[in-house]
Amino acid sequence: MGIKLENVTKIYTTGEVETYAVKNINLQVDNGQFIVLLGPSGSGKSTLLNVVSGLDNPTSGMIQIDDDLVSAMDSKQLTKFRRDNLGFIFQQYNLLQTLSVKENVEVGREVSTNPFTVEEVLSQVGLTPQTDKYPYQLSGGEQQRVSIARAVVKNPKIMFCDEPTGALDEETAKEVLGVLQKLNQTYQTTVVLITHNPSIGAMADRIIKLNSGEVIEDIINKNKVDAKEISWG
Amino acid sequence: MLFKNVFRTLKKQKVQLILLGLIITLSSFIFTSMNYGIGGILTPTKQYFEEANQEDFSISMMDYLLEDDVLYMQEQCILSTEVYTLSSLRNIDKPCYDKMIAFRLDTILKEYPNINIELREHKDLFYNVDGTSHKVRFLKETSNINTSYFVEGVAPSNGAEIAVSEIYAKLNNLVIGDTIDFNGKNYQISGYVLFPDYSLVILSSDLIFDNRAQTLALVSDDEFEALNATVGVEIAGDLFNMSKSDFESIVLDNYRDNTNLPFITNIVLTENNMRSGAIYGEIEGGQAMSLGISIMIASIAILIVRIMVSKVLHSQRGPIGILKSMGYKNSEITVPYIFFIMIMSFPMLVFGYFLGYIAAEPFKNMYLLIYLLPSTAIEQTVTTFITAVIVPFTFIVVVSYFIIKKILSQKPVELLNPQVSASANWLTKIVGKYLKKLKITSKLQHLLLYRNIVKFFVFLIGMFYAAFLILLSFSMIGVFDRMIVDYYENTNHNYIGYCDYVSSCTPLEGTQEGVIELPSVIMNDEEIYLVGLSPDSVIHPIYDKRGRVITSELEDGIIITKSLSLVKGFGVGDDVIIGVGDQEISFKIVAIAEEYSGEKAYINITTLSQTLTNTDNYYNTVYSETALNEVDFFIVVSTIDIVKQTQSMQQMINIAVGLLIVVSIVIGAVIIYILTVLTIEDNFYNISLFKVMGYNNKEIDKMILGGYLVYGISIFLITMPLAYFTFEYLQVFFAQYYNVLMPFEFKLWHGAMALVIYVVLFYAGAFSAKRHLNNISLQEAMKMYQV
Repeated sequence: MGIKLENVTKIYTTGEVETYAVKNINLQVDNGQFIVLLGPSGSGKSTLLNVVSGLDNPTSGMIQIDDDLVSAMDSKQLTKFRRDNLGFIFQQYNLLQTLSVKENVEVGREVSTNPFTVEEVLSQVGLTPQTDKYPYQLSGGEQQRVSIARAVVKNPKIMFCDEPTGALDEETAKEVLGVLQKLNQTYQTTVVLITHNPSIGAMADRIIKLNSGEVIEDIINKNKVDAKEISWG
Repeated sequence: MLFKNVFRTLKKQKVQLILLGLIITLSSFIFTSMNYGIGGILTPTKQYFEEANQEDFSISMMDYLLEDDVLYMQEQCILSTEVYTLSSLRNIDKPCYDKMIAFRLDTILKEYPNINIELREHKDLFYNVDGTSHKVRFLKETSNINTSYFVEGVAPSNGAEIAVSEIYAKLNNLVIGDTIDFNGKNYQISGYVLFPDYSLVILSSDLIFDNRAQTLALVSDDEFEALNATVGVEIAGDLFNMSKSDFESIVLDNYRDNTNLPFITNIVLTENNMRSGAIYGEIEGGQAMSLGISIMIASIAILIVRIMVSKVLHSQRGPIGILKSMGYKNSEITVPYIFFIMIMSFPMLVFGYFLGYIAAEPFKNMYLLIYLLPSTAIEQTVTTFITAVIVPFTFIVVVSYFIIKKILSQKPVELLNPQVSASANWLTKIVGKYLKKLKITSKLQHLLLYRNIVKFFVFLIGMFYAAFLILLSFSMIGVFDRMIVDYYENTNHNYIGYCDYVSSCTPLEGTQEGVIELPSVIMNDEEIYLVGLSPDSVIHPIYDKRGRVITSELEDGIIITKSLSLVKGFGVGDDVIIGVGDQEISFKIVAIAEEYSGEKAYINITTLSQTLTNTDNYYNTVYSETALNEVDFFIVVSTIDIVKQTQSMQQMINIAVGLLIVVSIVIGAVIIYILTVLTIEDNFYNISLFKVMGYNNKEIDKMILGGYLVYGISIFLITMPLAYFTFEYLQVFFAQYYNVLMPFEFKLWHGAMALVIYVVLFYAGAFSAKRHLNNISLQEAMKMYQV
């Protein structure tokens, strides 16, 4: 069934001013899809990701992931839901500097009931030689791959990625996207990726464009390309 | 504008800053109050000891007349009755007594001609005040050593006048000119007197120095002679032409082997004499303690300042980078930070200083409740102000300056970029290797703590300090009860009647028991208090450590008190020789009584009676459950009064215990509060990330703050044996240095109770941090940040 959104709205109130960050969004995402949410700054893509993934509550509307009604869950239920089903990757890597690569990945594995092995995931992201290194000994791209491994090791049903290549140069960014694509294909994990870079849409199954909190375009990408072949914009 | 920015940044940390201010204030307060408090006593005391020529040493001698004494006495005096002791000789024939004393003093001076000595006589009397027995030690005025010193008023000029200690008068609402009804005789108080050989009023083997019910007193010489009481004699000494080291090697190391001086039982240097020298240790200890405690608290404060300044500056890397790129000079950026650090720390230090100055007077008076010393009004000194305020202030400013300088030494571009890759320090790397087998969440508990070594160090010191103080407080609970009250409560004699030395004791009535009490008996060269007791005694059972009655073991040998065992080092199975009069008898120590009531040995009364009088039923003291008729005895002592006095001293100790516990809790909780809140702030983004990953608050709390509890408890467990051995050492120190046993006690329930307090302080301190943790939002993980 995947992800289903019905009339999802998120309003931020500052004093007497109400801002619609997300307005009446209806969407359905199938399991195993690679989705790119595309839009400029302030278009509402991060807010949408927050409410869909249960990091924030929508002001109104319904969010369902498989059989779970996420929009009706309380804080404890949301924690459990994220723990069992979701993985997150952010622009900054948020690695624990006191832990080695392997240990950082173990932090993700610890909360899962059905995890992959750390070795397997590190191999998938190409970091086996760096297993015992500390974050400060790695490049930016390697650090982001560690954060991907940390998210993937949980064996999540859905991965939410918020500008995962935002802090990386083109070559490194392509490497990281390649890793995400491979994981999507290997484990059939649904990937929802936020970016303001239109080029990245080329590797997605579907591109959803947002502006001013609304979906302005929903494109099925029939000419999906390999991450390496993306022509960077 | 820069000032405004720094002010607003610091304002966000206001609770931590207030608590930091509290620690800074505390450091200055403790030093100032103790320094001025002790100083208010120290200066006049030095002058007083000099003016009154305080003894350098004191010689105890046997009351028994030895063979040489008897021969001399037979030459010099004509006596109608047989006399065995100096005290009885004094009552029978004063001129002969004076000759005997002169004989002994001459004998000492022949052996050690480079010293000066003088007889020190006293008489102890009891009188009743509102149903409570008060003990008064009358000291006879001396001519050279230990002369009386008047704080106020004048010396008694006739037999109707008396001088007492000021604190005794104060505690009993008496003033100069008032009259004391002394068992029917009235004395008018002529002045407040001090004697330099008694800075602590210890008048018996019981360690009671309660100035409410005990006083030293001076009366005219004629009145002293007229007092109906046994005289106690000691010899006060002045080193005169001898150095202290020569005295130690020539006199102290050899007098016991000197066959010409068999009558000397003990020679003690003033510094090792509890009644006269404890104040030296107390003053030195007090000064060292005040400096030590304040340095430690100030160090903790400085380290916390370092952590907080570093944290604030790191959070301002970006703005500082922009200022530098705009052309601001390092000094211009530094000034507002240093300015605020200065205006925060200086008033706190000054505040602590003035609080300390105000508290110094009551602190001094607390000393004067116990010690008999002169005092002066407290005056401020530049040195104390510099040490309490300027020195820590300079340290805080200099430390802050170097932290700021280090950060400002970076280029603007480095400051503008997020400092993401703060490397793991050496400690986390080393410890990480040893924790490999742990679950990652447990490992994090340790590693997150090691990440900031300074913070970890502050935590360790602070927690050790808090744990030690709490344990010390518990060990002091009941210290006087164990010393005195337990003894009297375990026995059934409420009254002790000392028989007149010339006439025999009255026949025993009812459940009364006759015993023989002999002070100043020599056992293997050590002076002890010998008590002849029936092995079947019901009124005075003797208990061992397990609480079993062991009185019957007197059939097989002697039983010694725990005090005697610890102070003089005797143990079960030791063969000892006891000298009674001119006889020496060999005994085996068969048991140790669980008593801290003085250096006593119990012996079968029949054996002792036969040794002394060749009869089986001699006794010189009566133990009774019911009140004794005072007419029949020389002195009647109520053990109920002794217990009451002890309880009032225990109350003072309990107040000190309570204060210590409160101070430890405050220091511990403040440190925990500051550190845990800082830890939450340091791990802000990690916490948000953990939440996003699906860790619940409890799990995150355990990961981020759990280490504090684990290490806090570990420190406590390490502190327990350390504290235990420290208390054991203190017991031995007091015993060997002052011949006094302070039975600090360390029981399992003390440890358990202290642990409960410790854990409560931990949770109280960490409460705010947990609340911060719960409030961190999940979206924080998505923001750009700097570590």
